[in-house]
Amino acid sequence: MTDAVIVAKDLRKHYGKQAVALDGVSFTVGRGRIVGLMGPNGAGKTTALKAILGLTPFEGHLDVLGRDPRRERDSLMQDVCFIADVAVLPKWLRVSDAIDYVAGVHPRFDRARADAVLARTEIRRRSKVGELSKGMITQLHLALIMAIDAKLLVLDEPTLGLDLLYRRAFYETLLNDYFDHERTILVTTHQVEEIENLLTDVLLINHGRIVLDAAIDDLPSRFVQLIANGESREAARRLGPIYEREVFGRTAFVFEGREAAELAALGEIRTPSVADLFVAKMAGSAS
Amino acid sequence: MNTKSFFTLVERETWEHRGLVWVPVITAALIVLAAIISSNVSGSIRLDVELDGESSAFFARLATDEVAQARLFSIWMGSIGLPVLVITIIVLFFYLLDALYAERKDRSILFWKSMPVSDSATVLSKLFTSMVAIPLWVWAVSLVMGLLTFLIIALKVSGTPIAPLGKFHLGAWLVLQVTLLQNLLLASLWYAPIAGWLLLVSVWAKRAPFLWAVLPPALVMLFEEIIFNTEHVAQFVGYRLTHYFESASMGFNVETGAGSQVIFDSIKNTYEGMSAASLLAEPHLYSGLVVAAIFVLLAIRLRRWRDDA
Repeated sequence: MTDAVIVAKDLRKHYGKQAVALDGVSFTVGRGRIVGLMGPNGAGKTTALKAILGLTPFEGHLDVLGRDPRRERDSLMQDVCFIADVAVLPKWLRVSDAIDYVAGVHPRFDRARADAVLARTEIRRRSKVGELSKGMITQLHLALIMAIDAKLLVLDEPTLGLDLLYRRAFYETLLNDYFDHERTILVTTHQVEEIENLLTDVLLINHGRIVLDAAIDDLPSRFVQLIANGESREAARRLGPIYEREVFGRTAFVFEGREAAELAALGEIRTPSVADLFVAKMAGSAS
Repeated sequence: MNTKSFFTLVERETWEHRGLVWVPVITAALIVLAAIISSNVSGSIRLDVELDGESSAFFARLATDEVAQARLFSIWMGSIGLPVLVITIIVLFFYLLDALYAERKDRSILFWKSMPVSDSATVLSKLFTSMVAIPLWVWAVSLVMGLLTFLIIALKVSGTPIAPLGKFHLGAWLVLQVTLLQNLLLASLWYAPIAGWLLLVSVWAKRAPFLWAVLPPALVMLFEEIIFNTEHVAQFVGYRLTHYFESASMGFNVETGAGSQVIFDSIKNTYEGMSAASLLAEPHLYSGLVVAAIFVLLAIRLRRWRDDA
């Protein structure tokens, strides 16, 4: 795949003897995709991102934009941007200085663009980061990052701790003003429901292993959710659902690799949401 | 990393550590203020100008001897900036300890690392700030402060018996400024291993960088003293700390309190300028630079995988 932005093969990483963060992770991210990397706490998401960003050593093969992040981090960062967490802009940094700084060190920074994004917010140039609200800090960070013409943007829980309005605005700005089908975005979040509509691909990780790697468009052909009750539940169980749970007295089953047609007779059929799959896969890969 | 980017990094240091810029200015302002409010100018030059017979003779002779005047001018103009230097060195000590520690403590390291700035550029920009940028700033601030102080003193002494002190010697002044600039850069080279050590501790310590910087050498000295009853390490460290000032203060070997004749002669005959250039001939300067380079390289390597507080 010549258009691959990230090619990971058998990534392994453990902290100490016991804690395995990455246990043979392989995946490919194509250009122009918006990939959601999701998993419970401690699943290995952040370690995977850190590996991609050259922030942590690991074993295995990893190619990001044609470079090995372990050895070629300095040149890689010309083309990759990331927001690691809302709290990383230092308190003493003035808004105007933050812009000057990025303009000074980043050859692909477009100051006018950052100014335009900031002009839509209530952030004042003379303010220091320490004087801004958490939501404003994220807006500032996003304004800086969006003005950089990067090929890959990595977002690690970018909206953590923000209220719903800021979270919405964050993703809307990102999608409307930044994403252009040439760029690639890799995002991790706990708020699966909020971003599933903007994703093109989903990667689920648990216990350091990839448990689902799928394009959103392929989900309907791969997964079926069946809502059944009464007798048909036993019939459904015999078809090997990957997950089931009780919903208001009925049972929701998730099937992988079954035709919708063969299940339709047993109850209501629909395509499970990413959140449903997340729950199903996490339960399925537990222990 | 081009020059513009590098200067952005240095500028960034002054945003975070504003004391680097303001402490020298405030110290210099206090010296000027002291010159303004001092009723007795003599305090600034450490010469007894109670005009008894001895002193009168001294200033009478000084008034006619241009060479001695210029040397005395160099001595007091050269030493008046010393408080600015000493206080800035203290500020730099804490700056270097904080330089690679604060970014981990406030987790801003992940923001800095999201920019195309290598670990080498980051560490070197901090070293450059402490060894070149701030010394140049101290020099410039001291230069202005010296001129202001001179102006005030010249006004105050005019028409008094100590008026020879208020004469400006342009040639001596120019030589002095070049010497002071050179001395500041020599001080940077001499103290480079200490700067390197502080950066290394700063990048490595998970907490309490000050203790990590100071305690290990102090404990080694203590144990050496207790176990071997010797002081080699203490002497080694003490030599590194004080020898620069010994080198740079040859011009101050003015014997005081021994009568005006002796003072006058010592100003004139034992004055050798205040250049610390003799350091350039000392192998210790170069061995120190090698040690400094090792510390700095280690600091760069350690920052590569440092992303946790």
